[in-house]
Amino acid sequence: MQTTSKPGGWRLRDVILLTLIGIFFGFIFWAWAFVYNAIAATPLKPFANDITIGAWLMAGPMAGFLLRKAGATTLGEVFAAVAEMAIGSQWGASTILSGIIQGIGSELGFAFTGYKAWNRFGLFLSTLTSTIVTFAWDLYANGYGSYHLGMLLTLLIIRFISIGFFCGILVDAITHLINKAGILK
Amino acid sequence: MNASVKLGIVLLLSLEISFTKSISLNCLLVISSLIYLLGKKINLKNFIYTACIPLLPAFGSWSSIYFYGTGDNHHMAWVMFSRIFAYVWLGATLTLTTHIDEILKALEQNVKLPNTFVYGMLAAFNFIPKIGQEIKTIKIAAQMRGVTLHFWSPQIFFKAILTSLRWSNNLAQAMTSHGFSEGAPRTYYQVMPIPTWNMGVALCIILIVQLYLMYPLWP
Repeated sequence: MQTTSKPGGWRLRDVILLTLIGIFFGFIFWAWAFVYNAIAATPLKPFANDITIGAWLMAGPMAGFLLRKAGATTLGEVFAAVAEMAIGSQWGASTILSGIIQGIGSELGFAFTGYKAWNRFGLFLSTLTSTIVTFAWDLYANGYGSYHLGMLLTLLIIRFISIGFFCGILVDAITHLINKAGILK
Repeated sequence: MNASVKLGIVLLLSLEISFTKSISLNCLLVISSLIYLLGKKINLKNFIYTACIPLLPAFGSWSSIYFYGTGDNHHMAWVMFSRIFAYVWLGATLTLTTHIDEILKALEQNVKLPNTFVYGMLAAFNFIPKIGQEIKTIKIAAQMRGVTLHFWSPQIFFKAILTSLRWSNNLAQAMTSHGFSEGAPRTYYQVMPIPTWNMGVALCIILIVQLYLMYPLWP
């Protein structure tokens, strides 16, 4: 086990772990990205965007739950974004920008609990904040501001369901498996 | 040009065009990126790929705002169309000319990104080819027990995390035993200073964009 503790409590092992998880998650959703790209080429793009968004945000809260410290969620998401860029994402450097926004969105929920509630409540808050932050970002960056109110509400609900499933229910189920296996002290 | 400076410019401009609604600025950024990449003589295949890849999502954004948008939706539809091209081409000026290793090493020297992060990420990137294989192995192993794993099954993520934990432990130990010490001062084989002209060019680009936004020639 790696014992050097630098910097700010970040060990080499943690950095490698979060980057590997980011790459793994990216690969697991790889096949899905083609479906997304197919729908994203039609006027249904905002729906495709909001149905799939939860998958791309999962690395963040998972990292938070594994390391349980301030900054882990944001960095987990940013590492995943850099990994995506390294693999050759079509979005190039812009991936990092969305990684930072998504990471901060998920982190806020845990921050509101003072990084103490590593349970379903913290996870629920995190899904809530990431839904709000990413949606606010898309109001500008993705031109959501042009849609009428009914469509915006529909998109917001779809997004919350997607983030709730991937970053809430699925992360909770994975954490349960990890706790049962007793691999994290 | 220094990779940190280039990354800084690309991120700043990408952030800025996320909030501005100037079609002509987006087009100018695409044309400038195009000229820059032509000057760098990148290969034709990458060039065509970068030209075509934004077409589908750009059309998706354009059509959804065109059909579902309200207010000034025709203008906004073209803003989004051009913005997606601008994102991809701005990103390409960095990713098509600079390898990720170079970007991370430049960040280490120029903005003092801790070496734990730089070498940790670089080490993990070496596992990219193995990770695809590992996921196939996980899926096949489950199939042998009559279980089909989907991307929504917690088990596949659990196994991926188990593997990541094992690999990260081994890799960190291997790096330490090969003399890597976290946070210790390092000397560099390849020194990457930021030349003054780089900062000048960066400042000019940012300034020109701001000036253009204040006095646009076209909408």
